[in-house]
Amino acid sequence: MTMRNLTACLLGTAFAVTAFAPAYAADTDIIIVLNEELESIDPCMASKSNIGRVILQNISETMTELSPTEGLKPRLADSWEDMGDGTWRFHLHPGVTFSDGTTLDAGDVKHSMERVVSTKISCEIGAKYFGGIKVTPTVVDDLTIDLKADPPQPILPLLMSTLTIVPAETPEEFVQNPIGTGPYVLTEWKAGQSIVLDRRDDYWGAEPEVTKATYLFRTDDAVRAAMVKTGEADISPVISELDATDPATDFSYPNSETTYLRIDQGVAPLDDVRVRKALNMAIDRDAFLGTLIPSDAIKATALVPPSTIGWNPDLTPTAYDPEGAKALLAEAKADGVPVDAEITLIGRTGNFPNVTEVMEALQQMLGDVGFNTKLEMYETGEWVDLYSQPFAEDRGPQLIEAMHDNAKGDPVFTMYFKYACDGLQSGMCDEKAEDLIARATAATGDERAALWKELFAYLHDDVVADVLLFHMVGFSRVSERLDFKPTINTNSELQLSQIKFK
Amino acid sequence: MKTFIRKRAVASGLSLIGLIVLVFFLSRLTGDPTSLYLPVDASLESREQFREIHGLNDPILVQFFHYARDVLSLDFGDSIRKARPALQVVLEAFSWTLTLAAVTMLLVTVAAIIFGALAASRVGGVFDRIATFFSLIGASAPDFWIAIVAIVFFSVYLGWVPTSGTGTVWHWILPVAVLFIRPFGLILQVVRGSMISSLSSAYVKTARAKGVGPRPIIFVHALRNAMLPVITVIGDQAAGMLNGAVVVETIFGFPGVGKLMIDSILQRDFAVVLASIMVTAMAIFIMNLLIDLSYAVLDPRIRY
Repeated sequence: MTMRNLTACLLGTAFAVTAFAPAYAADTDIIIVLNEELESIDPCMASKSNIGRVILQNISETMTELSPTEGLKPRLADSWEDMGDGTWRFHLHPGVTFSDGTTLDAGDVKHSMERVVSTKISCEIGAKYFGGIKVTPTVVDDLTIDLKADPPQPILPLLMSTLTIVPAETPEEFVQNPIGTGPYVLTEWKAGQSIVLDRRDDYWGAEPEVTKATYLFRTDDAVRAAMVKTGEADISPVISELDATDPATDFSYPNSETTYLRIDQGVAPLDDVRVRKALNMAIDRDAFLGTLIPSDAIKATALVPPSTIGWNPDLTPTAYDPEGAKALLAEAKADGVPVDAEITLIGRTGNFPNVTEVMEALQQMLGDVGFNTKLEMYETGEWVDLYSQPFAEDRGPQLIEAMHDNAKGDPVFTMYFKYACDGLQSGMCDEKAEDLIARATAATGDERAALWKELFAYLHDDVVADVLLFHMVGFSRVSERLDFKPTINTNSELQLSQIKFK
Repeated sequence: MKTFIRKRAVASGLSLIGLIVLVFFLSRLTGDPTSLYLPVDASLESREQFREIHGLNDPILVQFFHYARDVLSLDFGDSIRKARPALQVVLEAFSWTLTLAAVTMLLVTVAAIIFGALAASRVGGVFDRIATFFSLIGASAPDFWIAIVAIVFFSVYLGWVPTSGTGTVWHWILPVAVLFIRPFGLILQVVRGSMISSLSSAYVKTARAKGVGPRPIIFVHALRNAMLPVITVIGDQAAGMLNGAVVVETIFGFPGVGKLMIDSILQRDFAVVLASIMVTAMAIFIMNLLIDLSYAVLDPRIRY
């Protein structure tokens, strides 16, 4: 190749490369890298973490909003009141417009409510928050709507913090172009590659600082962390603990998840409270912290995180006492309880980092005090079948590892499912617990908090319902140019309006 | 030639039908997608409703009959996860994989043939040593390790190329380079071996005796005759890439068909699994046909 040819070739390559280079972005544009692609962009799926991080309060807003610091506050609804008989009246904020230019009215709220529970599509919000509840919306006037719940829901205003509001014209099928009242509008969705949100000029609320947000998807933890480090991205809401090494950019936050072993109390020897106590005393929880579990995790005394109403600060995690556990087992054995029976310890593959090692350590600790356990790890699908009712008739005694998420601030999203006789994932049936769940669910205010508190103490100290492990933490990496700290909400949403620049 | 193509098409068609039947029933053996799709707390009614909407309550043979009927009209059904036609989802992903595979295989083929031929021309020489080194790396270092180390070194430390993504030509350098190493090492060894035997054959000695220079001997006389086994290996490697370079696609955020297939299997998104298998099987069938035809072009003794 002659020198002239070589120069031409290099120039050509340089031109081709520059032609593909992206235009320089504005300083107030940000890039967020998520750990999995969004399978759907429909607002009724926003209770899924990754979908919520794009849609919730950015594209679609809710009637009320739960803040980790301020509690439940107004969003699209300015106020609400209990009309009795299970009916709540909501007054909408006037002058709110959707990104398609139409004005928000009570008819939109009615349609949004009916759509999430429609039998024509499987909306995650409907399945997760409105299963078993019949909500009948009645339009009072353009800006007033009554929602009657059967059975009555004292926390209906809290439930409304999950319902994304869409225009009344939205079809009952998954949409590809979500329309909402939020400060941002979806301007580009390249399936599998990126999603772009642009700030709206006609938003009804305060104007956020971020002008444009691009969401990218990378499965690998190390790649996401590297992207923020090199400046290719500004926020990675989820990075691995191993990569969280830079105090200037890496933050841990309570991610509202709690790990535990669900005890199946329907099968001996787990129906004996001494055996359940021994299970708890056999676990050296401190040994996990800073080793297999991040050191910022908190030892749990309830299945809901400490920011939940009614959380009981008087409870202390069961202390590690292998000798005590052995004594309890000996006592139970003397009474004819089959404590030598093989207990299946069931774990969920990939449920959280190091889950397999945690399960192996638990098996070892239980073995040390005399339990005879067999460890089995399952993929999600099989695990859900084992975790949920109806249970197999011929099952042996089982301890099932699970991680439960309740970021909603009220135990009602947890307690019925996990502890009531008919709860989908309940391994127990206790008359007093049943009564407390029913009363707390129906109560309001201080009485509600007191009843939940009583229930937590009863389950932890008297029933010894499960082997509670840890309130978990997540890790985020945030670029130094941003003024943003992740909170417990970062597990389910990422409000662009809360992101400021330094 | 036409008879050959027709026969191959019929044989491949039968294999595809067998594949559809096998994959349909095998994927159903893994269970019901309901518990994976709905939240863990979803009520029994929600689960029942989901099964009804997606026809999962029908007897398996009825489901198969519906599926077979739709596939005949090239309708693979909708992806449960993405609520879009499965074929559309797969074709979008496949176009990425096809481009990645085409670019990589083109570079690999050209480089492997040149280096392999030069290595064979002087056994034990510089090119031969380089060839052995690359083959060793390709055979021994796992893709994911090379990929992560490449990102840490070239993107984070040196800042030369982006860590991942697809936006510009710069984004293609690392994934193509990582994908390049393994087939390059392998094909290079095949070219080298095949060339050594060609270069020691009688016609090469004759050419040398007639005073033909070293370059024409290597690239004109010996190479063409050494290409048949090479083409077979190239086809084999390209087929592997068309199935999706799962590791590279996952790490570099390439929205290709390999990652899509793995995700769909884990999420029991049956329509997408079946559509991916059909599309990649078709592509491999077409590629094998082209390879068979290229034998005839390279070696006039082969006639179909």
